[in-house]
Amino acid sequence: MSACSTLKLCSYLAKQGNYGARKSLVVCSNVCALLDSKRIHTSSRNFNISGKLAQNQRPDWNRAVSEAEKVVGYPTSFLSLRWLLSDEIANVALHLRKLVGSNHPLLKTAKSLLYNGRNNMQAWGLIVLLISKAAGHLNVDEMEEDKAAGVLHSQRALAEVTEMIRTSHLVHKGLVNIYPGLYPEPAVLNDMTFGNKIALLSGDYLLGNSCAELAALRNQDLVELMSSAVRDLAEGEFLGRRDKQNNPLPDASGACALDDWTTRNVLSAGSLLGKSCQGTLKLAGHGTHLQDQGYKFGKHLALAWQACLDLEPFTNGSQYVPGSMFSLTSAPVMFHLEHDPSLLDEIDNGLESVQNVDYAKVHSAVSKGPGISLTKQLQKEHSQKAMEVLEVFRDSDARTALSNIIVAMGEL
Amino acid sequence: MPVVCMRGGGVCRALSSQQVGPGSMPDFQPVDPYRLLEDDLKDIYTDIRQAITSNTNLDELRRIASYYFDGQGKALRPMVAVLMARAVNLHLNRNDLLAEQRQVAMIAEMIHSASLIHDDVIDQSDFRRGKPSVNVVWNHKKVTMAGDYILAVAAMMIARLRNDDVTLVLSQGEFMQLGSKETENERFAHYLTKTYRKTASLIANSLKAQAMLVGADDALCEVAFQYGRNVGLAFQLVDDLLDFVSSSDAMGKPTAADLKLGLATAPYPELNPMIMRRFQEKGDVEKAFELVHKSQGLEQTRFLAKKHCLEATRLASSISDSPYQKALIVVADLVINRMK
Repeated sequence: MSACSTLKLCSYLAKQGNYGARKSLVVCSNVCALLDSKRIHTSSRNFNISGKLAQNQRPDWNRAVSEAEKVVGYPTSFLSLRWLLSDEIANVALHLRKLVGSNHPLLKTAKSLLYNGRNNMQAWGLIVLLISKAAGHLNVDEMEEDKAAGVLHSQRALAEVTEMIRTSHLVHKGLVNIYPGLYPEPAVLNDMTFGNKIALLSGDYLLGNSCAELAALRNQDLVELMSSAVRDLAEGEFLGRRDKQNNPLPDASGACALDDWTTRNVLSAGSLLGKSCQGTLKLAGHGTHLQDQGYKFGKHLALAWQACLDLEPFTNGSQYVPGSMFSLTSAPVMFHLEHDPSLLDEIDNGLESVQNVDYAKVHSAVSKGPGISLTKQLQKEHSQKAMEVLEVFRDSDARTALSNIIVAMGEL
Repeated sequence: MPVVCMRGGGVCRALSSQQVGPGSMPDFQPVDPYRLLEDDLKDIYTDIRQAITSNTNLDELRRIASYYFDGQGKALRPMVAVLMARAVNLHLNRNDLLAEQRQVAMIAEMIHSASLIHDDVIDQSDFRRGKPSVNVVWNHKKVTMAGDYILAVAAMMIARLRNDDVTLVLSQGEFMQLGSKETENERFAHYLTKTYRKTASLIANSLKAQAMLVGADDALCEVAFQYGRNVGLAFQLVDDLLDFVSSSDAMGKPTAADLKLGLATAPYPELNPMIMRRFQEKGDVEKAFELVHKSQGLEQTRFLAKKHCLEATRLASSISDSPYQKALIVVADLVINRMK
């Protein structure tokens, strides 16, 4: 969803005389204004490498997603809109505005939430809703059902919780490690400290909100399951070697690339989507066998998606700018290291900061090695496993939408 | 809120026996809450550390997440939570502590510590509880994640109580508000809201959960909640007061953070522009500090803290007589006595 369409949506709601929406209009226009500021576009260099995928490149993906959104009632962006209606978020937006011009990553995170909402697959809530609809529900009170969308209100709430947890984690991940000497300029230090404060409190707000929403679902198995997903996300930030900004580096041995990559990405992505899909089937009253299938589906889908993101800098016709950064723990790099550990010498230049690595050199080495084709293979395997799970469901528009999404991903 | 640094239960124990004179109430034997609960509390940090370490096998995460569970804290929350649990249980003629109630005592301390850890990231304070604060030893991102991790583990423990209503009560994580308010009146209300959210809501809700777990009726649950709310508010007010006074005693350079109480209480319009520019201009902090000292703000805060403690005492008196119920009253006295 682009910032502008957010704005349109908000003005529409404002016309309905909805006070909250009018407030969100202010928020959105604040956020839009700051995101449109040129300085942010130019200061975005050292960030989230995986997120930049040009829209025009993937019509199939966009079509698959927007058709999927229709299947479950309304655009996923609505999920996020609810957050924007709160006072606290209005406050956060005001504070964000003060950060414009600084280099704080929080701006980048906010931008990716609005601009890349679709491309970046922040739309995990959508997946949760689709699998909810594909699986259907058993013996449920009619009051609990959103007939038009074919999902339960509780499932929609869970989808929202999934997105809140993910966003909270991204926002917390976007803090800056401030250590003595990093910002000799007091004004800059001040900005960064302030940015950290806003990021920390906003993330806590989302986390707190997701706890409260979960509790309201009155299902303790679900609370435990989703809390364990939060635990996994946090745990993922401690795995392996890290530079001073906590960016991950591959382990010194370079061996067991597949296991290492899988462990990392199950913790940081697969667990949350898997457990959300598992949880939504639990809410629908399905047995543990089907719930486990749900977990498998979410996990493999997330891993397939991660493999796909990891491939992006290495595919023909990608918008990859030579020499720019990419993740050193992405699958192609890790597979390559297993095959040729000598590249570790270059990668170890990043122990202080991953910015010190010669990315052109790593890129060229990886491009010549087996890393890319192994990653394609990896993506295919995970897509395949996710597809297999879909076969247990009856044919439906939701099931089709999910399989379209998986297919579109394979063609990226 | 870096408090006066208390080492373990020792100081509190000393505090309680020295300062709660028998004269403060007729036929009132001073009860030391920490001694009374020695058995209930002695393993509480060990058990918390066990919960923390059993959920991950990553060494660094274990170390950061259990950093403040070294047994050096004063364990105010577990102490009050167990006191209330036992007092309510006796009120209902049960002489025991439910395993679930002990869990709630642990959960309260864990949620509190998670928020301390996150406070440290923001405040950049160098010391807490007599040792380098967690953000000095590890980097901000890891510290933040460790806080999230503790919360997640606590939430899993809440879920395992398998009580929908208790989960609801304990999940009312209130978000600390950002920003400040323009006018004095609004500012004070805002300060009290912040105070409630920061300290009182967790204590109030965990005490309420204790009563709910043993099946107390709504009225008794409300007594537990209100007792916790009042003690929590008083505790935080006194805490802020001590911060302010100690920084003015030191008369080193006061920091904007130390002014938070004063700002909320001092009725001077001159403060407004300084607050809005976050004391960025030279001399702002000193000028504000002076204004607060001139005002009645500190007196008023003292008065308010006392009022909340009295209310807590009144509420505790409505529970059946028992050593634990008496200790609840002692706790309220302790809170007030810290500022003498």
